[in-house]
Amino acid sequence: MTDADSAIAELGYGGLQGEQMIVVENTTDVHNLVVCTLCSCYPWPVLGLPPTWYKSNAYRSRSVIDPRGVLREFGLEIGESVEVRVWDSTAELRYLVLPEQPKESVGWSEERLAALVTHDAMIGVSKVASPIAGKAI
Amino acid sequence: MNGVHDLGGMQDMGAITPETGEPVFHAAWEGRAYGLTRAMGGWRLWNLDAVRYQRELIAPASYFRMSYYERWIEGLLELMLKNKLVTRSEIDSGRPDAHAANRAPTFTAEKIPAFVAKGVPARRNVDVATNFRVGQRVRGLNLNPIGHTRLPRYARGKVGTVDRDHGVFVFPDTNALFLGEKPQHVYSVRFAARELWGEQASPRDVVYIDMWEDYLAPA
Repeated sequence: MTDADSAIAELGYGGLQGEQMIVVENTTDVHNLVVCTLCSCYPWPVLGLPPTWYKSNAYRSRSVIDPRGVLREFGLEIGESVEVRVWDSTAELRYLVLPEQPKESVGWSEERLAALVTHDAMIGVSKVASPIAGKAI
Repeated sequence: MNGVHDLGGMQDMGAITPETGEPVFHAAWEGRAYGLTRAMGGWRLWNLDAVRYQRELIAPASYFRMSYYERWIEGLLELMLKNKLVTRSEIDSGRPDAHAANRAPTFTAEKIPAFVAKGVPARRNVDVATNFRVGQRVRGLNLNPIGHTRLPRYARGKVGTVDRDHGVFVFPDTNALFLGEKPQHVYSVRFAARELWGEQASPRDVVYIDMWEDYLAPA
């Protein structure tokens, strides 16, 4: 959380369009969402090139003014007591969301956890699904 | 510039429609558009800020009609024309002009992995005055340059709180126009959703915008 560049580099990732990484953590009280309203900035070294929806006029325009509506389109309803933080990637810092860990996966190995995490969860448009089938977090 | 690329807060852009199992490139030409843009950057005739600005200069109707990589191609062709890497007749014919200069690029395929691994850091290791501190209330300036800027319209005149000092970075507004890097501090500024969008917005939500020193004034 305090030095994302080093942590990510330890795993062998870094470089073009990810030279300065910031990790923002989802909790029960905070939900983070990443966008680049002005173009399509996205953390390439860790998530690859962005999907078309991320670069769309619809996502770029609405994320900052109606994040809850955007999340609803992705099937995610955020409670009123939760603070939604939208990060507009206007500079060369690239943002990555640390999703909430499903309670059932506590104690799991890195490999098992990695299989649960998705690109969408690391941009903030979805949560990591519970490993128990059909149960949302 | 106050162009249509500055989309934050615009409405009526339709549904988001994510595609499941989306391929990285929907057609081979998109991959070539990406690769060509990277390869032409190897001539070191322009910088990332100039690349972004060139795409912003696409006429509004064209910008909205074009797909993402079409915008890349359009922006790249204009940069190549401006820098005499290609001529209009060569673009139209797809063939080199008679007597066209022949140059071997120094940026070759085997250099790409190292280039991608290193990236193009925008951070600069220089000591520059810090005029704002964490926790300070600041206002986005009402700047409306016709050149390139990364100050979105929705932040101009709005008051937020400095959350973090990211350090010193190249300033895009001057860099895009080849007027110098003018390195300065970039701050993460937190804006209440209601400050940006009025009472319709959630009372709890916030938007963080990364802002260069030159975009800010004390509030």
